[in-house]
Amino acid sequence: MTRPSPRTVRRLIGLMLLVAWEATPRLGLLPELFLPPLSKTLAVLWSDRSLYGAALLVTLYEVAVAMLIACGVGILAGAIVGGVATLRNLLLPVFSSLYAVPIVILYPIFTAWFGIGSESKIAFAGVYGFFPVMLSTAAGIRTIDEQYLLAARSMGATLPQLIARVIIPASIPTVLAGLRLGGALTIIGVVVSEMLTSASGIGYLVTMNRTILDSPRVFAAIIVVLVMSVAFDILVRTIERRTLVWQTAGRRTSSADAAVPARLATA
Amino acid sequence: MQHVAQLNPAVEAAPAAAVEVRDLGHIYAGRDGPVPALSDISLTVPTGRFVVIVGPSGCGKTSLLMMLAGLRTQTSGTIMIDGRPIATPDPSRVGVVFQEASLFPWLTAVENVEFPLVLKHAPRDERRGRAEAMLNLVGLSGFGGRYPHELSGGMKQRVSIARGLVQDPPVLLMDEPFAALDEQTRMTMGHELLRIWSQTSKTVVFITHSLTEAVYLADEVLVMSARPGRILDRVPIDLPRPRTYKMMATDVFGALRERIWQQIRSTP
Repeated sequence: MTRPSPRTVRRLIGLMLLVAWEATPRLGLLPELFLPPLSKTLAVLWSDRSLYGAALLVTLYEVAVAMLIACGVGILAGAIVGGVATLRNLLLPVFSSLYAVPIVILYPIFTAWFGIGSESKIAFAGVYGFFPVMLSTAAGIRTIDEQYLLAARSMGATLPQLIARVIIPASIPTVLAGLRLGGALTIIGVVVSEMLTSASGIGYLVTMNRTILDSPRVFAAIIVVLVMSVAFDILVRTIERRTLVWQTAGRRTSSADAAVPARLATA
Repeated sequence: MQHVAQLNPAVEAAPAAAVEVRDLGHIYAGRDGPVPALSDISLTVPTGRFVVIVGPSGCGKTSLLMMLAGLRTQTSGTIMIDGRPIATPDPSRVGVVFQEASLFPWLTAVENVEFPLVLKHAPRDERRGRAEAMLNLVGLSGFGGRYPHELSGGMKQRVSIARGLVQDPPVLLMDEPFAALDEQTRMTMGHELLRIWSQTSKTVVFITHSLTEAVYLADEVLVMSARPGRILDRVPIDLPRPRTYKMMATDVFGALRERIWQQIRSTP
């Protein structure tokens, strides 16, 4: 008998959790107020699909714009701060400290400035996601192997060529890691700010239904956020796999090693 | 245009010395004031010669090589490569092979080799053909599609050599290219380098810590002193070519090695 693959085990655990979700309230182990059965939650989600769909669209719109800001400004600022030594020494410690601040305390200020519509969510989540993107971009640029730059210069690379052909490709892995974290934080930022003060979006549905103790609708909203986050993660992983082929090429299978003698023989 | 060329035959004729260094000195700004790194370096490397520079750590060998490559500017003195001063890196005159990790991991072997040609905006077919030919020269035909992490240490250095040679420069500078390799691979690579050198008739300036490697490879070994680096001795290696591993066991080889060792040992 062979040991089941980690993938199979993962799926089994997931399935068991779903079964437990359904069984625990049905068996009376937990009141439905605390944990409504999965089937009931899904049924609510289906019957209210237009409501949830509209809320999801609002949230997705806010997440998309916030991510654009977080990633765009984050990469730009990170590149400048990471690339210019004086700015780096001046600003990097400041940004690192700011990252540790629970930025959510600023949200009331954002609502005062931008109102309780999408703008305040976008601004807040954009700032929230900005830090990891900016910091990892700066780190990615700072930690480029000097040897690459020296080699490129010895081959006659000009500064624009150095940036486009060495610095950018060399820092992509770290930047992508930052985008993944920053993107996740952006989603958190949007949902949290919707939960705090708003009149639309998935986060709003969570809060609103919680106040009227409608557990199935709270959990339905949670499912939507869960699916959104997982979808984002899968998307980023796919991008990572596509762009970082050079890190994994030939490692997935051992056929590359088997090909060496054959190639040597024909050479 | 033809007239100009005929009127100016000096442009056509290759200079006798591929590398000509006169009274080179270098002082860099250290924490406690200026530090003299190199002084009174004069050397002439005739076209097609294989010169190896040895010396204690920190003697400025690498600084010297960086200056020959146009990657660093000397404080005083002149450097002529192929008859002209070198102020900035010029891969059409000087190819450089570094110790290791200088291949770009995000490019395949063939893309690494053609990188200098990409910088020059050479047409794709031309540069790909040239790069393939270089990989063939270093014994890596069929490995062009591999990424650096899929290659062994020796293969990576073969790719580096191919990259250094891709623009057909008259001079190849090598900064301890085999230092990170294990002993066996190192021997093989030295042998391979001599084969490539004899096929391409390049002028090679090679830095190493290994005295055996120095004597095995060189036409002439330059021994440098500790900082400030100066040339202590010039040891002609008149072992016949092609060199064989067996020569390492001969008395002549041992005597040459010993002479260089005594020079290095005597430096403070």
